[in-house]
Amino acid sequence: MDPTAGNVPGSAVPGPDHEEPGLETLQFREEIQRLMTVPPDNASSFTALLELPPTQAMELLHLSPESEPNPAPAAVSGKPPLLEPCAHPFNSSLTFPSNAALIERAAKFSIFGGGEQSPETGAVPSNPGVNLEKVKSEPAESDSNPNSSQETKNNQRSSAKRKEREKKVKVSMKKSKIEAKEDADKIPYVHVRARRGQATDSHSLAERARREKINARMKLLQELVPGCNKISGTALVLDEIINHVQSLQRQVEFLSMRLATVDPRIDSNLDHLLATESLSLMQSNFSNMTPPIMWPELPINGNRQQYQQQWHFDALHQPGWGREEDNHIFITPEASLISCNSSANSASLHTGHVKTEL
Amino acid sequence: MAASFVSNPDPCLDSSRKKRRKVEDDRNPASTTQARWRSDKEQRIYSTKLVEALRKVRQGSSSSPVAVSGGKIVKEAADRVLAVAAKGTTRWSRAILRSRLRLSKRLQKCRKARVTGDSRCKRADVRRERRRTPAVQKKVKVLSQLVPGCRKAPLPNLLEETTDYIAALEMQVRAMTVLTELLSGAPAANRLNFTS
Repeated sequence: MDPTAGNVPGSAVPGPDHEEPGLETLQFREEIQRLMTVPPDNASSFTALLELPPTQAMELLHLSPESEPNPAPAAVSGKPPLLEPCAHPFNSSLTFPSNAALIERAAKFSIFGGGEQSPETGAVPSNPGVNLEKVKSEPAESDSNPNSSQETKNNQRSSAKRKEREKKVKVSMKKSKIEAKEDADKIPYVHVRARRGQATDSHSLAERARREKINARMKLLQELVPGCNKISGTALVLDEIINHVQSLQRQVEFLSMRLATVDPRIDSNLDHLLATESLSLMQSNFSNMTPPIMWPELPINGNRQQYQQQWHFDALHQPGWGREEDNHIFITPEASLISCNSSANSASLHTGHVKTEL
Repeated sequence: MAASFVSNPDPCLDSSRKKRRKVEDDRNPASTTQARWRSDKEQRIYSTKLVEALRKVRQGSSSSPVAVSGGKIVKEAADRVLAVAAKGTTRWSRAILRSRLRLSKRLQKCRKARVTGDSRCKRADVRRERRRTPAVQKKVKVLSQLVPGCRKAPLPNLLEETTDYIAALEMQVRAMTVLTELLSGAPAANRLNFTS
């Protein structure tokens, strides 16, 4: 009973090293219950435990100043000596049974605080920060529950020590934050680390992760939309994005209207364009026209003819490779249609070329 | 006391589960969107499909004595081809294809019904304090109306869809520009060739 009782409170608090805070707190709670059921009358606090065997407590108090203050092993076995006071040495500086609980607690947690830091800094890159912080908050909660009478003092001390520890750990966590984040990318879990001074509530952590995701996507959008890099502020960037999408949609509408009205003999045009130089033209045009063109109104025939002349001449200079490339991709679906339609197209030289190629 | 201990890990697990699903999405948009919609291959595929679709439209319109295929029909065909080119990986492409299948009237009825169901979402918003200002919210709503199929999408998904949609639209504009100019300039070029 004693070694188990001694080990369990020892193992409950270094629970942060494991990734199962729930189990640890349950163990801790069970331990508390076990200890509390020993004195049948008072099951509320540890101080009640101390008060029950007052004679034994007094014996311990007398014993304690004699023995050397040896917090490490003594605090671990701090609780079980309550049950068998004669066997184990008790912690020093105990004047009253009420204080005994406080100081024993504080000493125990400070020990484990010191012990925690070294394994924690070592385990930080691999451990999820969320769990670390959660477990720290949970033992604080669990501690407060059993001590009903000395709650405030106990909590103040333990919470003060815990804050110090948390700050220290957070600094070390911050240093390894980058490494952990890189590791997190490989693991399916997303480990979010709370920076110094930020809330460690699970809700706020989740919200922060969400916000970061949204901000990352907004950055992508800003890169895509021209002129959005200089603007700062979500609303204005969204304005720009909306304008851009609307302008693109308007352009598509305008272009489709033009395509519909462009030429009644579109079949013939499509045939000879596809078979010969259209794709080479398209390739060159695509590479040139990467930013979308804004054209509110264009003169329908004037400028275009000039452009077409240049393009067609360029294409005619290199007909061979264009045709070779195009043939294996497009001729096959178009072959039947071209053969049907080119009969109507005797005037066009290029369709003649197409026939011979096919 | 038992409940307070046990319930604590649960929100952690839930949020981690949600995070687990969404981590995979983070890596995809940046790398694939621009490379995909800017590649020559994609443009060629799109332009050929567009030309085929236009030809079908023209043949269909010539058979029935309807007026010259209006710009709207052409636009719808172009959008459909664009959605097909997206291969169904994005929400907007699936929404465009779906809208072609159903009758437009049915869609309108469904849209009206969905609008009234939005009040359900407000309760979820009230729960947590939202840092998004109402101005930003209005713009998000406008954007969601612009991108097809994203009316009720959550914000990170909406932004992802917008990224892909903008890239696809740019490609569509490029392809249609070239096509229009080629088609309209072709008869002129033919005349030039004959004369020279």
